[in-house]
Amino acid sequence: MSSRAESLRRTESFLAKLLRLAPATSQPQDRRPAASTIEAAQPLSRQMHQPEYGQVDAKPVDMTTVTHPDGRMTQYPPPSHWDDWVQWDGKHWPTKVAHRYALVPTTCFNCEAACGLLAYVDKSNYEIRKFEGNPAHPSSRGRNCAKGPATHNQTYDPERILHPLKRVGPRGSGKWARISWDEALEEIAERMRESRKRRLDGIMYHVGRPGEDHYTNRVISAWGVDGHNSHTNICSAAARAGYAFWSGADRPSPDFARAKTILLISAHLESGHYFNPHAQRIVEGQAAGAKIITFDPRLSNTAARSDLWLPSWPGSEAVILLAIANHLIQHNLYNRDFVRRWVNWEQTLREAPSFVEDEATRSWIEARLAAGDPCFEDFEELLKKLYAEYTFERAAQESEVPVDRIQQAAELVAEAGTRLACHNWRAAAMGNRGGWQVSRCLLFLNVLTGSLGTRGGTFMNSWNKFVPKPFAQPPAFEAWNELHLPDEWPFAHYEMSFLLPHFLDEGRGDVDVYFTRVYNPLWINPDGFRWIEALRDEEKIKCHVALTPTWNESAWFADYVLPMGHAGERHDLMSQETYAGTWIAFRQPVRRVAMERDGIAINRTYEANPGEVWEEAEFWIDLSVKMDPDGSLGIRKWFDSPYRPGEAITVEEYFRWIFENSVPGLPEAAEAEGLTPLGYMRKYGAFELNTENYAPYEQLKATSLGGVDVDGVGRVGFTTPSKKLEFFSPTLRDWGWKEQAYVIPWHLPSHVSRDEIDRGGGEMLLLPTFRLPNLIHTRSANAKWLYEISHKNPVWMHPEDAQRLGVDTGDLVHVETEIGFMVDTVWVTEGIKPGVIAVSHHLGRWRTQDGGEHGNIGSGMSSLVELSSDAEGLRRLRIERSGGPWQSTDPDTARIFWEDVGVHQNLIHGVHPDPVSGAHCWHQKAIAVRKAAPGQRRGDIEVDLAKSQAVYRQWVDMARPASVYSPDGTRRPYWLKRPLKPTKKAYLLPGRDPEEPAP
Amino acid sequence: MQSYGFIINNERCIGCHACSTACKSENSVPLGVHRTWVKSTETGIYPDTQRHFQVTRCNHCDNPPCVRICPTGAMRQMDNGIVEFDGNACIGCKACMQACPYDSIYIDPETNTAAKCHYCSHRVSVGMEPACVVVCPAHAIIAGDIADPDSEIARTLSRAKVTVRKPEQGTAPKLFYIAGSDVNLHPTVTERRPLTFAAADALPAPGGAPPREHDQPRANGDARRLPQLQGLPEHGPLRLGGRQAQHMAQVGYNAQHRVPWHWQVPAYLVTKAIGAGVWMLLALAWLLDLASYETSTAIYGGAVALLMMTLTTAFLVLDLERPDRFLYILLRPQWRSWLARGSVLLIGYSTLLGLYWGLETLGHLGVMSVDLTTYRPAWLLVLGLFGTGVAIYTAFLFGQAEGRDLWQNPLLPIHLVLQATMMGAAALWMAESFGVLNSELSSVVRWTLGSCLLADLFVILLGEFGMSHASEVAARAAHEISGGRFRHIFWGGAIVVGHALPLLLLTVATPAAQIGAAIFVTAGLYAYEYAFVMAPQEIPNA
Repeated sequence: MSSRAESLRRTESFLAKLLRLAPATSQPQDRRPAASTIEAAQPLSRQMHQPEYGQVDAKPVDMTTVTHPDGRMTQYPPPSHWDDWVQWDGKHWPTKVAHRYALVPTTCFNCEAACGLLAYVDKSNYEIRKFEGNPAHPSSRGRNCAKGPATHNQTYDPERILHPLKRVGPRGSGKWARISWDEALEEIAERMRESRKRRLDGIMYHVGRPGEDHYTNRVISAWGVDGHNSHTNICSAAARAGYAFWSGADRPSPDFARAKTILLISAHLESGHYFNPHAQRIVEGQAAGAKIITFDPRLSNTAARSDLWLPSWPGSEAVILLAIANHLIQHNLYNRDFVRRWVNWEQTLREAPSFVEDEATRSWIEARLAAGDPCFEDFEELLKKLYAEYTFERAAQESEVPVDRIQQAAELVAEAGTRLACHNWRAAAMGNRGGWQVSRCLLFLNVLTGSLGTRGGTFMNSWNKFVPKPFAQPPAFEAWNELHLPDEWPFAHYEMSFLLPHFLDEGRGDVDVYFTRVYNPLWINPDGFRWIEALRDEEKIKCHVALTPTWNESAWFADYVLPMGHAGERHDLMSQETYAGTWIAFRQPVRRVAMERDGIAINRTYEANPGEVWEEAEFWIDLSVKMDPDGSLGIRKWFDSPYRPGEAITVEEYFRWIFENSVPGLPEAAEAEGLTPLGYMRKYGAFELNTENYAPYEQLKATSLGGVDVDGVGRVGFTTPSKKLEFFSPTLRDWGWKEQAYVIPWHLPSHVSRDEIDRGGGEMLLLPTFRLPNLIHTRSANAKWLYEISHKNPVWMHPEDAQRLGVDTGDLVHVETEIGFMVDTVWVTEGIKPGVIAVSHHLGRWRTQDGGEHGNIGSGMSSLVELSSDAEGLRRLRIERSGGPWQSTDPDTARIFWEDVGVHQNLIHGVHPDPVSGAHCWHQKAIAVRKAAPGQRRGDIEVDLAKSQAVYRQWVDMARPASVYSPDGTRRPYWLKRPLKPTKKAYLLPGRDPEEPAP
Repeated sequence: MQSYGFIINNERCIGCHACSTACKSENSVPLGVHRTWVKSTETGIYPDTQRHFQVTRCNHCDNPPCVRICPTGAMRQMDNGIVEFDGNACIGCKACMQACPYDSIYIDPETNTAAKCHYCSHRVSVGMEPACVVVCPAHAIIAGDIADPDSEIARTLSRAKVTVRKPEQGTAPKLFYIAGSDVNLHPTVTERRPLTFAAADALPAPGGAPPREHDQPRANGDARRLPQLQGLPEHGPLRLGGRQAQHMAQVGYNAQHRVPWHWQVPAYLVTKAIGAGVWMLLALAWLLDLASYETSTAIYGGAVALLMMTLTTAFLVLDLERPDRFLYILLRPQWRSWLARGSVLLIGYSTLLGLYWGLETLGHLGVMSVDLTTYRPAWLLVLGLFGTGVAIYTAFLFGQAEGRDLWQNPLLPIHLVLQATMMGAAALWMAESFGVLNSELSSVVRWTLGSCLLADLFVILLGEFGMSHASEVAARAAHEISGGRFRHIFWGGAIVVGHALPLLLLTVATPAAQIGAAIFVTAGLYAYEYAFVMAPQEIPNA
């Protein structure tokens, strides 16, 4: 330090004392590294604290200049330097404080896109300084959304749960005792063993964010139980069903970057399932000239970036899609050859008399059939006759979208040819009853344009997602848990998870051990008060184990709360269909990896994680081994090491085996770098299997080997029963959905169609599904940088509606649904369709108690509430205190400047199980919307359980149960996917013989 | 010579806020302050509605006013064109925040020093791109050397239609927007202090929520919608710029800025005016021989001025976020800054005055024999000139505040001299009640005070607020004072209490009236300065 600086410092210090005005930080803090906190095999940090980072004498070296074609600077540290990378500190600049890092790739856990992250782990004390993008990740390509960097907030969340907790006192009373992992494992395993001995449907693993492919499913299979429950039915079930009936695969994978026209029925530039990878490629496609069409009643960010925004009335989307299809059909703008080769048109023609409703058309087709073998031209004629009613004018009328926009959309689709990339994940499919027909009608456009699996077209997920096989796969279990897939919904995609409380209430069963895994069912599902009832009921849910990295409302009602790792604290393997190629990505505990690189022996990941945070991959091994210590249940053997017979497998061995044996091309790529396959994945975190995989259904496959005959050539085809694209679905017909509106792509009236909403009588449509691009479902409240940007969810309202109700931005409004009401503020905007109000998802988190030594749900970012109930079945929630500043180990929590942290709207949603797909149809009829009465406060919620029960019954009654309609005595068409398929025998309905004819 | 800059391509930006959190992460930016953020606005009439995003941050101006005004050189322009700051040198005077026409600078709550986007200099210096560039999913941010014709940014710049924020400030911003939206670029197009954002709370507006414009029927009686204030100032028929179309233009999200300067600054202006004015007036009167020299008057005047200069210094130091570092102004001055120059004037004036006063007082008390008669004219000349400098320099400091157009007023040097003379006269008029002034001086002071009050009234009403203002931003601030939130302080405080009442009291020659007049003038000036300092700071620059 120069003498001048020294004298300044001294003067400063003297004056500070003199004036007594100096802020606490007047002295630059000594940032020399603390002594290493690592001691062999000792857990690193038992208490949560904010990290300090070491500084080193070394200086960053200028990187080798890489001249990019576009003249850009070199962006990332080259992987050859990832073991020891020195970088200046940004906060202290221009004071040159250098840190020495180990750069460890991992995979983001804040949505399901599985983008790459690169953790900067300080080599002096193994604190994680930050997360940047992993340039070696083929899907995210080094880039991230706002949620990627915020992983750091989660890691150093001052309210983290650091130790296993066990409930003391009644459920939900908020009294916890810290226990050891051994105790937790022992007690839970004992309950599981006891349940498994008695039955095969007593253990339920209910997953919100899986963040991995197959690992836990294998564990459940090893237990031999029907134990997989998911959140799919409130997420993507309807869209999946629509795609599945066509093709057998249940999700689309558009090749956005090369598309000519991109049609989105959702908000993929801000919140699509694979937001960052998709957004990159949509923008890339648009920059290369693609036009974007977006259907959304709300001006989403995506709609704002689109070339054509179609603000359609919810439930009318299929009508618009069919009007576009009709335009292609009537003007012969479709891909004749593709349709002829790949659509099951012969079958359609044969069955047409059974479903065509128009009498003239039916007589015509009957005559054609009687005249002999019908030909493709007959099918074309049939299409023309069937869809002629879907004119632009009709679509405009039903959707309230300007007719010229619909026409333009049709022209853009026609121009796209085989370069039409479409997506629908949630949005209209999940909002409306019959929403599954939306994705079916959307794929119809791909079929007509022949844009399936083409350059710039739309793929199916199964072509681009790769799930490698583990070392030994347990056989299918022979069990059927009625609480997962009950009789009423044989086509459910998938488990009817959001109805669990209703099922329990009806006495359909009970659960011995209920795991919630990064899942907050009472908060995220509709009709949350029912969940509170169910979770409180120790008779029905006998043991609830919450596996979660952060507190959540449901964990409050658990018996055990087990802290699990965030993105940089666990091993997982993931792959997603994010573009035309195929890849896998490895999630890693980054501190562990950094320590191991330095030669520090770590046996188990929790030794390197904060506190006693575990990773599930290790937890499941330990739990399963403890569940079957002597192997008598046949479970233990699935957890024996393939490398060390007789000993329990380690997580490292599990993935090592996969990388060595199940990922084509990986061992060779590793060898080329002088690495083991595991070493390669540890170093790069991702591997690309292929860069494109166009039209795999066209590949040759002899019909004798299961191929399908197309023009006399055997080809792979699709995974439907006919191996063709099923325009006409014999499955729907066979299972009781015989009407024209079900068996072919058609439009079904939604529960919130224009006819259902009495706008003159003051009714409106509540659109509750939209998401904000920077929030993480139910885990944002412990990520400060995300809440700083968005923390509340006012009711979006069109100025005309606001004027009618006499409210303005900031005023309180009372929104009443079929089952209750909420009070929230208003956001008046021209960006919403008149007649529709919208409230964003994610916000309105709450807690019933303050702080405590075991953490909380973002104390400054959730509301302290009081829950109350009365004998009449009324349930209430009232906010006692909103968000605000508070003191913690993180000085930032004292700087929270916002108050409104949202309203928990899902509580007032009635359950709406779609009769076909089983999906919860999210849109709500707002039977009354008015200015809040004096005395009402923001966040006030009241629900009538009797009304919620009535809504449930009303929807259940629309279903067509397997026990009545099954054509073959089974519970579900065997060819339809299930996350975990049991044996064929388990498919049989109770007391039914195979081949029993349908009534 | 390198010249780093940014292009934000709004044709690619999807408003995801990844840049915002990546910056927080890279630079450990605390909650509540922002180096970069994504402003978002909504415009149009359904279904022709649009949302516009704008990544907003330091423009790394080629001609950076923040660097000019910084008294210690903490804010500096590097050879590569990046405007960096050095937290170790910053005293927290917040002058840079007043100088920045873009609201890009904040006070870091952890260090209490100014901070802003430093272009990730710590990364760029070793060949890496800024964190926001790397994270952006849409490659909407291009960073690089504008001077290098082969760089992506230079090549893009050479063919793209770009725009910058507030080019009229002459700062030569080096952050260029492709497809910039005027609603985002011009912060005064939308409501100044929104009640709320779409998914975030807005900081409460000072003085409570502004009243809303409610619907007015069309001429034919039909309902007409006015969804938002559209650039209309509150309370008044003035229409200053902004959009006149009857459609929505509202802010969905924006970073929020707190006002940097508070009561200390108007207080400093008042005490400084008294301290300087007393000797401006005394020197003038005695040098022109309008009154005969009295030692007792000099001692009284010196005591008053020294007390006021002490208070002036105290207010200045109190306003610093790092008061412990106030000596940095002298120890590491940046001489282009009028803060540094002004400090020299303040210290020089106080020192000379102290010396003169000390000698006179010691002589008067007979402690030592001092005869200043010979050099007195020289002393008086020097003190008068220094006093004038002390009075005037703030005009040049305010002139360096490019972010506050109202302060950049050519009339200001004259006005400050006038105010100082008026305050000097008021202080001496108070002394008259103690009988310190001889009759000649008393009459000079009385006439000076009276004419200054009238002249000041003239300058304020016909100059400052009677004339049109050169920029919309200045006009808005002026309107806030004369017809907006500060109108009571202005009319009641500055005009009635500060001018009308003292003028009336001047006609009465009782000690109580004299003391009263002096107090009212002082209170009036504080009221005026308070409005003058606060109002422009509330006009948003981003």
